[in-house]
Amino acid sequence: MLPGYYFPNEAAEPLLWHPVLFAYTLLISGADLLILASLAYLFGSLRRAIPLMTMLGIGFFAVVLLGPLADLRSVHRAPLILTSAHIAPTPTNPGLSLIALQTYAWVIALVLSIGFAVLMFSYYSHQASLTATGVRKTVYQLFSLGIITPEKYRRAKLAAKAIAVAMLPPLTLWGIYPASMLLTQTWNPVWRGWPLLPVIYFADTFVVATAVFIFVYYIWKLKALEHDTLLPILKIHAAGSFSVAALTGLQVAFWWLSSPFMAEMVTPLLPLMYAVIGLLLLSFFLSLLSIRYLQANIAVSLVALAGTLTNKWNILINGQLISKTGLAFLELELHGPWVLETVAPVAAGIALFILLSIVFPLGEGA
Amino acid sequence: MSSHTRREFLKMTSASLLVLPLSLTSSAAEGASKRYAMLIDVNKCFGCMACVVACAAENNVPLGRFRTWIERLEKTDGTNIFIPKQCNHCDDPPCIPPCPTRATYKTAKGLVLINDELCIGCGACVQNCPYGARFMNPVKGVADKCTFCDHRLAYGLLPACVEACPTGARVFGSLAEENELTAIVRSKPTQVLKPHTWAKPQIYYLSLPDEVNR
Repeated sequence: MLPGYYFPNEAAEPLLWHPVLFAYTLLISGADLLILASLAYLFGSLRRAIPLMTMLGIGFFAVVLLGPLADLRSVHRAPLILTSAHIAPTPTNPGLSLIALQTYAWVIALVLSIGFAVLMFSYYSHQASLTATGVRKTVYQLFSLGIITPEKYRRAKLAAKAIAVAMLPPLTLWGIYPASMLLTQTWNPVWRGWPLLPVIYFADTFVVATAVFIFVYYIWKLKALEHDTLLPILKIHAAGSFSVAALTGLQVAFWWLSSPFMAEMVTPLLPLMYAVIGLLLLSFFLSLLSIRYLQANIAVSLVALAGTLTNKWNILINGQLISKTGLAFLELELHGPWVLETVAPVAAGIALFILLSIVFPLGEGA
Repeated sequence: MSSHTRREFLKMTSASLLVLPLSLTSSAAEGASKRYAMLIDVNKCFGCMACVVACAAENNVPLGRFRTWIERLEKTDGTNIFIPKQCNHCDDPPCIPPCPTRATYKTAKGLVLINDELCIGCGACVQNCPYGARFMNPVKGVADKCTFCDHRLAYGLLPACVEACPTGARVFGSLAEENELTAIVRSKPTQVLKPHTWAKPQIYYLSLPDEVNR
């Protein structure tokens, strides 16, 4: 532990929120994939990418709460977040909890996302049910929702558009939720003094979302990559990467200019912040290169994922190690199989995505 | 006979309905009239840790965690001063809003408490306490902190730390009553920790050096 002034209860447990929460902040990119899918559906663009984005989004977003659940000390009481939710102020419980609010937003967004996906694939499900046998036939019949004619499917598409609009507010809330919480409902001096954090997080989740999409698309299509599908995604990715790099640089400059105390306090975070800026700028330039040389997009994805992993680790783990006094940087102590714990929720998301991709055809245009 | 009984029953019921809210109100008013607070005279504390030990014994505080603790500050002239710290039972407590299940709450008497049966152990309240006064209890799996020994107050006793202090550095009482605490708070300049948080802490200090307020 570095010399400095810190509170004794901080020394007892320097890392209150464990790395498993860090996996959760990555899985929130599922919300942004769903935002992209709903916007693309509403504006009639990226037709061939929408099924993949939707299923990846649902796969990740459905398991997003596994991380926080794994980090609860009394997980058996987790249902109380819904049944005793602190979402309105009272004299005994002033304010409102972002955790409780976002849990409700998660339920709403997930139900709407599933409804959106089922409606989008309803006619396909009907067609698939005609040739399928056994359990698959029953599953497809269920997912067809009785939409068995093109006329009914046209109406189903209108309903899907209405759901796509309704999905946007809760999903956007999710995109900025962790950063909003760190900024407003913690008394960590770095998080409190990081006003650009919600914007950085929002832009960053688009970077992760597009990087994951590019990675999965590359593995799925290999050499048969479609320029029309990838081009808009690469443009969004380039914009996101550049924004996060620029905003991170701006935040560093803000700290330097604000006060010598702040500049000194954030010193332990700076090496990884510089690494993030470097990696995301590299990802930005690689995105531009990939627009011309499509095969290079796997590098875009890997570099961006490295950048965002570093960024999230730095914000959540290193940020947490700065004492509430602002005068000490506590030593990182990790216990047990924390790597497996951290990877597990992401693995669950990938498994769910694979399952969904078996049931629904990702190659179908929306 | 039957109608007479019914009339009497209705009279009694309506009378009790009138009386019940009044009794509830008076109980609430009594609670509100007791705004518990503490005063710590830094000049009287010599860092004996009696309060820390008494608190740990009274409340079964796990090893390595503290509901109250004493910080030592070395002054430029080489002398030491000791500053006891704990939950400030703030008037506007930052720890309550983040709690997702309403487990952390504020009583009419100004105590900030935790309902263990509702606490899921998310740690949000611990993260939002500016004073480092909360911790996760590894035995119970819930957030933990000073309660002003609420269980002792119910029997008219003082908090364990106040009772154990050999120099009387800690003074406890209700701000709404005439007592030693109010007499000092009204007559002498007092300080609170981290006033910039706007949490309105209810632990008042006498002779608190500026360096402590971080």
